[in-house]
Amino acid sequence: MSDIATIIKNNKKEPIKITITLPTHAYFMSGIRDFTLALIRNTSDFSEQWAYRFQSVVDELCNNAIEHGSSIGKEIKITFVNNPGESIEMMVEDSGTGESRMKAAEIKKLVDERSGKESEMHDIRGRGLAKIVKEWTDELSFTDTPDGGIIVKVKKYLGDVKSKELTQSLSFAGDQTHIVI
Amino acid sequence: MATPATITIEDVQSSSPDMTVKIVKFSGQLDESNVDEKANMVYELIEKNPKNLNLIFDFAELEYMNSKSIGYLTDWYGKVYENGGKIVVAQTRPNILDILQVVGLTQLIKTFPTIDEAKFAISHSA
Repeated sequence: MSDIATIIKNNKKEPIKITITLPTHAYFMSGIRDFTLALIRNTSDFSEQWAYRFQSVVDELCNNAIEHGSSIGKEIKITFVNNPGESIEMMVEDSGTGESRMKAAEIKKLVDERSGKESEMHDIRGRGLAKIVKEWTDELSFTDTPDGGIIVKVKKYLGDVKSKELTQSLSFAGDQTHIVI
Repeated sequence: MATPATITIEDVQSSSPDMTVKIVKFSGQLDESNVDEKANMVYELIEKNPKNLNLIFDFAELEYMNSKSIGYLTDWYGKVYENGGKIVVAQTRPNILDILQVVGLTQLIKTFPTIDEAKFAISHSA
């Protein structure tokens, strides 16, 4: 681990906030996934399993922004906030210029409909926010911006993860999705 | 501009003349930039083998899959299953298995630690 990463990792008090702005194109997502993985591994107390999970969460949030919120030539903004020993927050903001843009209330309604446990999905799309993001975060909110875009914010608490890991000795390669405490 | 990913298809000797078995090996990262193009290869394979097609998806070298690629996997399974075949998954990395589990796909598609176990399952379920 580099010196700066050690300093950040040893920081137990101050929130660490990183914002990245990138052009609206899926090509850049590979780099964002790599960054997310390194960020979680090097600066947080979340496990390796959660580093990969956050990688998927960020990817799905950005894909949603690229598909619905920002047109080609515009940008999406990703913000990571690491609250040491407490939580990770991630926010993805689109520009509201996409052809199939939606209001915050519309997208929330869709996600709520699709995320029900009994909901069977047959479409190719629709699992990103409703299954992956919703299942792997504790808070998920959608907010309209003055420019017509949306900010999707997620938060995952470390305490929740740690308590589950203690009670089930988290088997990363196991075959159990839902953890019962 | 797309993230690197490859799909290669290999024939497997079948225990029954009525059954076609193939290993579909995925490598790299399946994401929004490449998944539509890569999915077409599997759709073509399914179209060319309309009956009793059994596919073993080898995920040993698959590093990432997004929700859309999971959607395609579900669609392929439905098409193959409707025509008397099946799809199983083998050698999945922990992070990929985690994604398959969270979307509930492991309740639909069986996963095996090795290719040999997947082959055995395919040949003994005919």
